[in-house]
Amino acid sequence: MATTLTPTAAEDSAHIRTTDLWRTYQMGAEQIHALRGVTFTIQANEYVAIMGPSGSGKSTLMNLIGCLDSPTQGSYVLRGKTVSEMNDDELAAIRNREIGFVFQTFNLLPRASALHNVELPMVYAGIPRIERLERARHALEMVDLADRANHKPNELSGGQRQRVAVARALVMGPSILLADEPTGNLDTATGEDIMRLFGKLHESGNTIILVTHEADIALHAHRTIRLRDGHIESDERRS
Amino acid sequence: MPIWEAVRFAFASLRAAKLRSFLTVLGILIGVASVIAVVAITQGLDEYVSGQVLQLGSKSFTISKLPAVITSRQMWEEMQKRRDITVADLDVVRSVCEACSEVGGSSGTGRTAKWRDIKQEDVSVLGVTENYSRIGSIRELSAGRHLIPDDVDHARPLAVIGSDLVDAFFKELDPLGKTILVGGRPLTVVGVAAKKGSVFGNSQDNFVWVPLTTFRKLFGTQRSVTISVEARSMALFETAQEQCRVALRSRRHLGFSRPDDFSVETGESILDLWTTFTRNIYIVTFVVTAISLIVGGIVVMNIMLVSVTERIREIGVRKALGARRSDIRWQFLVEAMVLSGLGGLLGVVGAAVFSWILGTVLGHIMSADFSAPVRLWAVALAVLVSASVGLVSGIYPAARAAALDPVVALRNE
Repeated sequence: MATTLTPTAAEDSAHIRTTDLWRTYQMGAEQIHALRGVTFTIQANEYVAIMGPSGSGKSTLMNLIGCLDSPTQGSYVLRGKTVSEMNDDELAAIRNREIGFVFQTFNLLPRASALHNVELPMVYAGIPRIERLERARHALEMVDLADRANHKPNELSGGQRQRVAVARALVMGPSILLADEPTGNLDTATGEDIMRLFGKLHESGNTIILVTHEADIALHAHRTIRLRDGHIESDERRS
Repeated sequence: MPIWEAVRFAFASLRAAKLRSFLTVLGILIGVASVIAVVAITQGLDEYVSGQVLQLGSKSFTISKLPAVITSRQMWEEMQKRRDITVADLDVVRSVCEACSEVGGSSGTGRTAKWRDIKQEDVSVLGVTENYSRIGSIRELSAGRHLIPDDVDHARPLAVIGSDLVDAFFKELDPLGKTILVGGRPLTVVGVAAKKGSVFGNSQDNFVWVPLTTFRKLFGTQRSVTISVEARSMALFETAQEQCRVALRSRRHLGFSRPDDFSVETGESILDLWTTFTRNIYIVTFVVTAISLIVGGIVVMNIMLVSVTERIREIGVRKALGARRSDIRWQFLVEAMVLSGLGGLLGVVGAAVFSWILGTVLGHIMSADFSAPVRLWAVALAVLVSASVGLVSGIYPAARAAALDPVVALRNE
């Protein structure tokens, strides 16, 4: 059996498969290689932490996985679709349907209520308003914020804001929850709350990718990919 | 993204910066308000003037020494050289013009009228032929009788007076048979004309009509006569004018190439002048408005650029959540359109208030029924034009927002 062959995108069983990903930035006359050939696969329902010091390329990798950016070279296949060959609008659709982002700084729209923030991805998906509101309320219930639906972000605590962001990330039923330093702006106790929420989401079948430089946060994941200078330094699984 | 979602976004972000949005559209607001107000007021005046001029009657015209409108001092001096129109001219016209049903004459001056010790200043004293009140808009009497041919033939010292004089002198007394002094000459009142109100603040009821012959006897013969003519029918209107012109020209021995040394005025010719005048007002208004809308558009563009810069992070978030370039472009375009469209709408409200105030004030000054209604088409046009200004101003900022790289936008502080 020729198991060593790279399968074609259509028959790939992996959730995420990156092959020799390069990302090169042009800084004036100089070329900066943020990623230098990164190859890995992530299966469905894995809980992966991506770690590395600043400048290691972990943000670049997160942007590529999140389809916010395209690789200079190499391929990225997400659930059988070759994302690395997609155009802008197709990438937007993938971000909308497949990726749920949770950011360090929450990135909620400051003037919109929690409900409207959660509703937002569904606007871009073209879901009718009545269904949107119902699903947004349901998503807020899942993060225990049903009673804060009409509060603006500045009326919520940091932990509550991050839970709104999680609700927003989950509302479209994405295949990946992509969290970039999700506890970076929270105190330890609140951070632990958020990590417990992630644990629950993982148990209920979500695939979670956590980008962090904090080792104790990374411990919540079952697998850690460490980057250094644009390469994978290590890839460890814990059970 | 459907348009109503974009409109909802637009309202949400405009609500978030109310004062700024208002200040942004102030230019558009003022531009729209002034154009609508000017159009409303000019149209109000238009209707008013047409109404007044049409009272001249559609198949009547006048022949006078001086034209109705003199536009320069030079023209005025030129016109003064014209010969007076005489009673003999009037008789010739009357005998020659077959297309005319009535040919009358009038001659006027301003005098003080007096009854007992009550004075009325600046009364228009008009010497008229007996048919004068039947030419043009018919002047009804509220009491007494009209002048008759016999009065004119015998130059009787009789008068038909306007209601202003009745109000000033007689109040509840019966004016008929009373003798008033006009320019020191006694005249006996035989009729009172029905009240007409005022045009542009000039009362139409402050007059005394006397037989033309009486007038010339009392106030002098060195005065030009204005000939008033009623054509037999609308179809003969032009013919009547032509017959009168030919009659006067030949009587005055005017050479073939010489221009008329008298002026024929019809209601239409006066309306034409008014139309030219209002057209100029419109042109000036539109130029001024165009300038204010361009400036307003630049302000909107500037604010939209500021807004895009301020909201780079928001744009990044929206893109991360799945907004396509076209969604972002649409959002900012619609926002610019809603912003300036609302400015236009506020302008309409401002214009309505302004023209209502001005209409009331003008109506009061002219003591006449005058209104300056804001037209629906002006409202629709204002909102459409201002939204288009927003559209044009929004294109560039929206394109900049749409082109933002999500990674860069999300990193923006």
